[in-house]
Amino acid sequence: MRGTITLFVSLLLLQALLGQANHELAPLHICVFAGGLFVPYAALMMPLGQGMAASILGGMICDAAAPVAFGTHTLLFASAHGLLYHLRARFPRDDPTVQLWAALAANLAFYLFLSYLTVGRSPARGQAWPRLVADLAWSEIAVACVAPWFFALQARILQVAKAEPWRTA
Amino acid sequence: MPVVAKSLLRASFFELTAPVPVAVSHVRDLQQFWSLRVHTADQLIEAGRDLARVNASYALSVQQNSELQSEVSRLEALLNLPASDAYRYENARVVRRDFSGWWQRMVVRKGSDYRIPLGAAVVFSGGVVGRVDEVHATTSVVELISSPGVRLAAVVEGDTHPISYQGGVNPVFGAARGVVEFVPLDIFASAASPKRLVTSGLGGVFPAGLTIGSLSKVGLSADGMFKTGDVQLDPRLSDLTEVTILVPLAPR
Repeated sequence: MRGTITLFVSLLLLQALLGQANHELAPLHICVFAGGLFVPYAALMMPLGQGMAASILGGMICDAAAPVAFGTHTLLFASAHGLLYHLRARFPRDDPTVQLWAALAANLAFYLFLSYLTVGRSPARGQAWPRLVADLAWSEIAVACVAPWFFALQARILQVAKAEPWRTA
Repeated sequence: MPVVAKSLLRASFFELTAPVPVAVSHVRDLQQFWSLRVHTADQLIEAGRDLARVNASYALSVQQNSELQSEVSRLEALLNLPASDAYRYENARVVRRDFSGWWQRMVVRKGSDYRIPLGAAVVFSGGVVGRVDEVHATTSVVELISSPGVRLAAVVEGDTHPISYQGGVNPVFGAARGVVEFVPLDIFASAASPKRLVTSGLGGVFPAGLTIGSLSKVGLSADGMFKTGDVQLDPRLSDLTEVTILVPLAPR
């Protein structure tokens, strides 16, 4: 429980920072999507129950701020969490490089899924894709830059809260 | 999951995350205030003088507007016409902009605490901004006219045929654009001679005559019965810091 709450607080912080970054980038017509940062640490490092709860709560934070059916991000994050948890025994999950690649892959998958869901509303679908591709590129760059810092922050917060994975495993 | 549970969860999580961007917007306003405080008296006098000229022209427009309003009321009474909508103007600071390729929304710093209704029109000095899509305790979410989910009934200035406007073309590093359909065949526009697109007043959300954008290109549609076109929106939409919400005085 403590691990879930600790990770949830870190996800709230991430959402707040992302929102402010996109607010400042809006005049440049750039938007950064970093949904891929919400899941990997919880899926790779935490026990199933605590990590999944954190991923689901992170999905609900994103759902509340987005004009999509409530539960879309939650379902995406939970699915990604389940997949990463299932695969984590095959990789050195403590390695920051593995965590980074997991974040990049998850971000790409989430972005493509959400684009597929929403592009149908656009009156000029062909003209929408260049913007979507550009935003995806910016998003992946942002995730690559921020992921190591954010995962280190999550590890540190868990340490401070005495909720490290080895304590609860 | 039941709809009630989804609505409750959405509202709860939104209110949980709302205080941070609202607090940041207050800090931003405070920062702007202190940056203005360091201006010299000469700079402030010069700015005040420039503003006085703008205010004088606006004061004259207000006088003319009052006269026109009286004339409209007199004609409505004479011809036994229903009164046109009157509005209460609520100015709201922009808290957070969310301009992705999927949607274009902004959060403003007034909500049900100022009796903002769902679906209210939102405008700025350059024309239409969008409409209120969600109302929360102290904030509201505005969907911009550049968002794919927004459709308006519009007319070309000087014409009366209704046209369908829809947002959704948001290029990289460029101003947002919209698309119009069902344009009459006798409407011509180009980048060199654009036509102003304004609200028609149909639907009752937006008053008639508010600027949406400029029709810069029209071409024959696939069926040949109408034209379609591109609308250039005001570039200031992407860096607004304050908007005005039109709250109808007569409940709908």
